[in-house]
Amino acid sequence: MSRGFEDDEILGKAYDGRLVRRLVVFVAPYWRRLSVAVTLLIGAALTELAPPLLVQRAIDGPIAARQLDGLWPIFAIYAGVLASNFALRYSHNYIINSVGQQVMQDMRTAIFRHIQRMSLSFFDRNPVGRLLTRITNDVDALNEFLTQGLVLILADMVTLIGIISVMLALNWRLALISMATLPVLTLIVSIYQRYMRTTYRAVRQRLAMINAYLNEQIGGVLVTQLFTREARSQAHFADLSEAYLRANVRSVLIFALFIPAVGLMAAIGTAAVLYGGGQGVLAGWASLGMLAAFVQYTERAFQPIRNLAERYTILQAAMASAERIFGVLDTPEDVRDPETPAILPSPVRGEIEFRDVVFGYNPDEPVLKGINIHIPVGQSVAIVGATGAGKSSTVGLLARFYDVQQGGIYLDGVDIRTLAQRELRRHVAAVPQDPVCFSGTIASNIRLHSEEISDERMRWAAELVNAAVFIERMPGSYDHEVRERGSNLSIGQRQLIAFARALAFNPEVLLILDEATSSVDTATEALIQDALVRMLKGRTSIVIAHRLSTIRHVNRIIVLDHGKVVEDGSHEELLAQGGFYHRLYHLQFAEQVSR
Amino acid sequence: MSNLRHLLPYMARYRIMLIVGILCAAVGAGVSALGPYLLRLAVDAISAGGAQVQRLLVFGGLIILVALVDGAFKFAQRMLIATASYKVEYDLRGDLFRRYLSLDQGFFGRNHTGDLMARATNDLSAVRQFLGAGLNGTSTAVLTFVAAAILMLGINLQLALVVLLLMPLSTLVFVVVGGRMRKIFTSVQDQFGNISTRAQENFSGIRTIKAYAQEDAEIAVFAEDNARYRRLNLRYVLLSGALWPSMSLALGSVAALVLLVGGRLVASGELTIGELVQFNAYLGLLAFPMIMLGWMVSLYQQAAASMGRLIAVLRQEPEIASSHAALPLPAPRGEIVFRAVGIRYEAATPDPHPATPDSRLPTPDSQPSEWLLEDISFTIPAGTSLAIVGATGVGKTTLVHLLGRVRDPDAGEVLFDGANVRDIDLADLRRAIAYVPQETFLFSVPLRENVGFGLGDSADNQLLDHAVQVSRLSNDLAQFPDGLDTMVGERGVTLSGGQKQRVAIARALTRDPAVLILDDAMSSVDTHTAAQILAGLREVMRGRTSIIIAQRIATVKDANQIILLDGGRVVERGTHHELLRLGGRYAAMYRRELLESELSE
Repeated sequence: MSRGFEDDEILGKAYDGRLVRRLVVFVAPYWRRLSVAVTLLIGAALTELAPPLLVQRAIDGPIAARQLDGLWPIFAIYAGVLASNFALRYSHNYIINSVGQQVMQDMRTAIFRHIQRMSLSFFDRNPVGRLLTRITNDVDALNEFLTQGLVLILADMVTLIGIISVMLALNWRLALISMATLPVLTLIVSIYQRYMRTTYRAVRQRLAMINAYLNEQIGGVLVTQLFTREARSQAHFADLSEAYLRANVRSVLIFALFIPAVGLMAAIGTAAVLYGGGQGVLAGWASLGMLAAFVQYTERAFQPIRNLAERYTILQAAMASAERIFGVLDTPEDVRDPETPAILPSPVRGEIEFRDVVFGYNPDEPVLKGINIHIPVGQSVAIVGATGAGKSSTVGLLARFYDVQQGGIYLDGVDIRTLAQRELRRHVAAVPQDPVCFSGTIASNIRLHSEEISDERMRWAAELVNAAVFIERMPGSYDHEVRERGSNLSIGQRQLIAFARALAFNPEVLLILDEATSSVDTATEALIQDALVRMLKGRTSIVIAHRLSTIRHVNRIIVLDHGKVVEDGSHEELLAQGGFYHRLYHLQFAEQVSR
Repeated sequence: MSNLRHLLPYMARYRIMLIVGILCAAVGAGVSALGPYLLRLAVDAISAGGAQVQRLLVFGGLIILVALVDGAFKFAQRMLIATASYKVEYDLRGDLFRRYLSLDQGFFGRNHTGDLMARATNDLSAVRQFLGAGLNGTSTAVLTFVAAAILMLGINLQLALVVLLLMPLSTLVFVVVGGRMRKIFTSVQDQFGNISTRAQENFSGIRTIKAYAQEDAEIAVFAEDNARYRRLNLRYVLLSGALWPSMSLALGSVAALVLLVGGRLVASGELTIGELVQFNAYLGLLAFPMIMLGWMVSLYQQAAASMGRLIAVLRQEPEIASSHAALPLPAPRGEIVFRAVGIRYEAATPDPHPATPDSRLPTPDSQPSEWLLEDISFTIPAGTSLAIVGATGVGKTTLVHLLGRVRDPDAGEVLFDGANVRDIDLADLRRAIAYVPQETFLFSVPLRENVGFGLGDSADNQLLDHAVQVSRLSNDLAQFPDGLDTMVGERGVTLSGGQKQRVAIARALTRDPAVLILDDAMSSVDTHTAAQILAGLREVMRGRTSIIIAQRIATVKDANQIILLDGGRVVERGTHHELLRLGGRYAAMYRRELLESELSE
């Protein structure tokens, strides 16, 4: 539930032609419905001009003439205007929102689709919370822009111009008197809007800070308690809370000044109409009905101007969101499929070669500095080395989560960059470090969305990796519900399911990242080890091992140090060499064998 | 719905502000009702034809004066009531936070962080809105309505009744439509939750998605969820789109009726044109307050529900707290005795789908569950070490949790320096113990503060540096852009599992504790570094009591005594050699480890 805690700044322009033109692309398919909605809204705005005019007609007509029956037609027109206004507004609301929802759906799917195409370096750079904000809050801001922003600004303009035109047509002298306050009002609104913007920003940021702090403190409450830090946490929280209080009181002050100021302008407008209009009635160039109508029109003309402040904020928020969304959509796919992908020779055998591979997550700081490895078909290889030596990078490159900067990687003699990613990953399966599970069932976690994997195949895979035993003990067995992130499974169980998944897809090449999962008890650990052996048998495989115990099952060991291959050979050979591996080995087992 | 009475003590602190605020609202309402009256006098003067320019100027001036006075009182009203509401929110938020910090792990196990967050954010702001906007709006609406009603009834009963009976219709429309909208909105929100959960799971598990080329299938599922969300939203719009148009319709109908009825009255001479204009002006004056009243109903309902959820937290008593006559612990030695300790299984984990608008917090199961641990007794003389081994889930962590009173035992007692830990001042007790947990929690503050978390404000740099050295965090400092001053977390660097654990070890060491507890604390540290840390720790642990939990015998065999837990009991105890001689489970575990290493040779 990290939604909303990120304080993405809302700053800058309220209108950016470049961004709006790009947004138009998303709206364009629905232009017909959109123009219907706009037409309906303009119609609605026009009907709202009628009531004061009807009041004028009634007062100056039947009422002044004391003709009771003359009121009925006016009342009938009034009722008709109200009914059509309701119909126009309601249908506008429905249509514009249905377009908005459609555009949001398209946009969300487009962003999600684009994100799916990104390589892992994109995910390394962008935390999950931020990506989530793009498809939730930012898309919502654009919906507001469409349904509340642009279209309503248009309606406000129509209303304002309409009122001014009617007033001018009715009585130009009174019209000029009425409009005298409008420029001042515009000024007040723009000043208010400027102060409110900075204050609201402060309010939002401070609330975000409170929420972030609260979230963290709840998560780490045990640490705070055990380290008896409660008093200091409270003091810090009180500071944050007080900063938020101050910002809010400031916003109250600005608002409390703004409303009476607007009220005063309305009163001045009314007084002016009375004074000027009163003289006009006496002099004969105005009527009482006009006076009544103008008092109402002046009030109605205020609303669109007051709306400006709110609409401006919506536009600004939308531009900021659009900027961020296009920022994601414009991120190029750095790992992309070739125009005409090569085809692997059939059947795929699983021979791997790294040729002079240079790679760094940051190109200026290479992690791998010229790696040459040849792995014949069916051989299992363990890569060992210190943290940061480049072990995981080799696996990431072979699965093409990233692309090499120099050199090349070949599967059965074909450069993997010439293959479609789908094709490559059908034959090369990477089992990630932290075993991931998704909400769904055990079965859906093993076969994911693949329809090619039969029930038999799934069971076979689960049995082979020792997962079947615990799965079959669960209620519903393979249909047992897995909760979000597999929270109802132990780490060991998740690891075994990840193994089963890898085998169910039956790849020719297996890549296994084996971070020491220490939180697994000895019995489960034995099951995992046993599963590993069965998986490696007869299959080209690379294991990134942190536990030397894993390594005893492989044919060959490659030691990486500072991005280079420093040792390569079997366990016995490397021990005999007395080098890096020898040291590593003795560090791990020194204590166990010493007695 | 009487939950809101719990708000009274908070409001009482700002009663002067609130009372004066409401008085201002009353004066403001009375004054603003005068505006239309002045308008009528002016119109009637004009229509009588005898008005002089001078008198028109006076009316105009009075109308502006009324606006000024009205504005001044409304300003004061807003400032007082809204500010008071924010202060109440501040107080409530502080109380809520203090309560959270005092509650025990049992509470946090039963409640989701998301739900606890929601109480401190959404619920709090619902209560504040009711108090601020609600009180402001209601007082203005009711008082303006009363003032206008008095003046209207004084003019013409028939027309006044048309207005006074029909205006509240708009409030009713708002309440009915608004209530139905909220119901549908809940299902819209749920579906939105599904979308964002799915996306979150996808982004977090992207390696797996990509490794098995599942992107297209994921996109299809996401698109389907999205389409369902749109369809639900359209149902909502069908209703919400009608809300404001129907308000306009209701208010407009009243205006039309006033024109019809009023016009006839003017024509028949029972009403002046000025009075008709005055009625019209009241319609404008009352329109917004009437809508506000409708909004108030929903504000009230939300606030009452939200206040219930806040009170549920504020009433929650911590199960772990210092007793009234708690013993201070000025110079802890670190002698620990567990006497016939028993622990029952924790209550079931909470439901994964929270978001129940229910105010009740889950309570611990009243039915006693099975025993997790039973009849555990041991003594750790001050300055010696105890190691605990056993399979995952056997209760090792829960057992050491008793010492710092993360929870209390369900049977037996735990003694620290001869006193029952329940009788010792909680802060003193915890200050004597440093616990390095299995999973490290880091705060989004600089690394230095994360390490020196247990130190007072006067951070002892020497102690800190020493801790950084011993934990071998020093090895990695060069990797961080600003060394110890590097920010940790979303806005800073992400630490690897091993680095996190080393921060936790350093954090514990800065406390200079009498008792050090390592709960499988080096599982993610690579073997080479772990060996270095262990060597450094041996130095630090000299003269201190220590408890070590580990999966591997190699880590624990040097302890003064070792206990092996199985099936909820201590099944073996002694030194490493004694246990080997015993030839039981411990010996078997050790043989397995040895075998593993021999096999790999």
